[in-house]
Amino acid sequence: MFESFSIVLFLEAAIRLAVPLAVVALGESITERSGVLNIGIEGSIIAGALCGALAAMEWSSILLGMVFGAIGGGLVAMVFAIFVLGLNSDQIITGTATTLAGLGFTGVIYQARFGTTGSVITLPVLKSLEVPFLRDIPILGPIFFQQSITVYFVYFLVPALWYFLFKTSWGLELRSVGEDPAVAEEAGIRVLFVRFLAILFGGLSAGLAGAHLALDSGTFIENMSGGRGFIAIAVVVLGRWNPVPIVGAAMFFGAASALQFLLQSSGSNLPFPFFLMLPYVLTLIALSGWFGRTKAPGSLALPWPPKSG
Amino acid sequence: MNRASEGGMILIKVVNKFRIVVSALLLCIASCGDRNDESTSSESQSSDFRVALLTSGPVSDAGWHGSAYEGIKLIEQTLDAKISHQQTNTPAEFDEVLRAYASSNYKLIFAHGFEYQDAAIRVGEQFPEVTIIVSSGGRFSDNVIPLIFELEEGSYMAGVVASRMTKTETIGMVGGVAIPPAEATFTGFEAGALSVNPDVEVLVSWIGSWDDVAMAKEAATTLIRRGADVLIHNTDAASFGVFQAVREARALGEEVWAMGMNRNQNDVAPEVILGSAIIRIPEAFLQLAILWTEGKMPSGEAYYAGGQSGAADYVVNPGLAGKYQPELMAEIDSVRLGIINGLISVPRIGFLERVGGSF
Repeated sequence: MFESFSIVLFLEAAIRLAVPLAVVALGESITERSGVLNIGIEGSIIAGALCGALAAMEWSSILLGMVFGAIGGGLVAMVFAIFVLGLNSDQIITGTATTLAGLGFTGVIYQARFGTTGSVITLPVLKSLEVPFLRDIPILGPIFFQQSITVYFVYFLVPALWYFLFKTSWGLELRSVGEDPAVAEEAGIRVLFVRFLAILFGGLSAGLAGAHLALDSGTFIENMSGGRGFIAIAVVVLGRWNPVPIVGAAMFFGAASALQFLLQSSGSNLPFPFFLMLPYVLTLIALSGWFGRTKAPGSLALPWPPKSG
Repeated sequence: MNRASEGGMILIKVVNKFRIVVSALLLCIASCGDRNDESTSSESQSSDFRVALLTSGPVSDAGWHGSAYEGIKLIEQTLDAKISHQQTNTPAEFDEVLRAYASSNYKLIFAHGFEYQDAAIRVGEQFPEVTIIVSSGGRFSDNVIPLIFELEEGSYMAGVVASRMTKTETIGMVGGVAIPPAEATFTGFEAGALSVNPDVEVLVSWIGSWDDVAMAKEAATTLIRRGADVLIHNTDAASFGVFQAVREARALGEEVWAMGMNRNQNDVAPEVILGSAIIRIPEAFLQLAILWTEGKMPSGEAYYAGGQSGAADYVVNPGLAGKYQPELMAEIDSVRLGIINGLISVPRIGFLERVGGSF
């Protein structure tokens, strides 16, 4: 259907669209592995976008933008953690509130700083970095090795997280907390502390993804997170809480968006929303357990210590 | 377990539930606090002419919503009205916010967008003394008046310019959500482009959102890679993504241009925007408010703001005026005149429908 030129275009676009999703989903998967479902991650993304934009503008530095974006996301996640771990409040309700608060609060700060009708802020923009030699591989080179720094960060994060989760004792502790916090506590693991770190990691990742969104488009817009936090939660499910398939799932969501852009721009009469729907259908199928026996972490979204009665 | 401890358990449960609800509420309040921004600041004024504005997106978009906000600020300054603005986040809030304004003595309500039309009809029925203006609305009744911006006229002129400027004979449009008013502007753009060169290919891409910058950037990049070298948009804040994509393509040495839409966006990205297809939303709002105070508000019909009243136009970016051939400048003027005189017929998408009342 498409010539090879289009295939390169398509895969490049798919990676660009998948990267923020992948970073958020990898972070969220760690949070969920500890038994906490943080649906407030959208709030961390938008906070990361704002903090990243402000820092990058202040110091004209991409790197500081990324760092402060991650910190902003982490701070929002810590608010979530205080309620969920400290007060043992319901994860779903707290997460929803965190998302709403994040979207609203960033808007307030933005309007306070730049005026109600806003002014366009122009930031230093992420540039694609080319990896010498690898970039020259035909077709695959430009697709995988001519991308923004966040892409390379994902290349690093996936094996690192996989090793951490399945090959280190800390990873084992994290998973045991998520599966059965009572048993983990018996074994001397500080359940709340592990969960706190897991939530923090999820928030830092989401903040980083938010900063990527702002620095990639060179501006901050209210609500620019565009629901990516919720899509990332679907990505985690589709990726079965495992870093490698999660990146595959994020690519799948990115590819669906990229495909519909390509189809639209080539004047195709295929109904493009169909392709946007596909990943969600697959996520539902994944939830129904058709893709093997991997289950969600046993104590996901359950309070700890368990509420009496 | 004895009765007392059972009661205690229930109490603890209730307290826990309560704590959850309160914590959620507090966070919600924190998030909603900004939406009511203007109602308090204007409280001091003595005027009892109250005008309200609803937008479904942030007014910091330097475009569609921002101009509406400028519109009610203009009404405040010119007519000494008391103004209020709220941003609605979900369709469920449309009715609520409209009803809240209608019942707090706001006699003129601007519901800024096609999406409000059904809620406006419902609330308009309940409050016959209130006038609701629905920007780009498709349905009208006695007191619900669609404000139709004939942006397709400005878009048509933009299409003429794009067609003259393109070197690849390919131009592109990035849209938010494919609703009739947005489609109308693209139909106008395409018609304008084809009127001067029938061989020009016009690509289109909808992103399904008005303010997702990253999606708009990606859609624009795809169009540029497909050969489009002049891009117009009809989105809100997402338009910054289109301009960014054009900037980046230019940084790579490609000769690509962007065009603004809705509001004069020439200063948003002055180095890449050739010009903007505009509607003068603030002036149209003020015009309607004046009609209202004079008791001459149209009833049971749409209000058109187009080229004839100067409400729709194409504005050349003065910084890039050098890129226009003198003949093209003259052509823009003659097309503008042709549209006003009716010599050029700009295609329109009709979507008006009367609801209730009698003719």
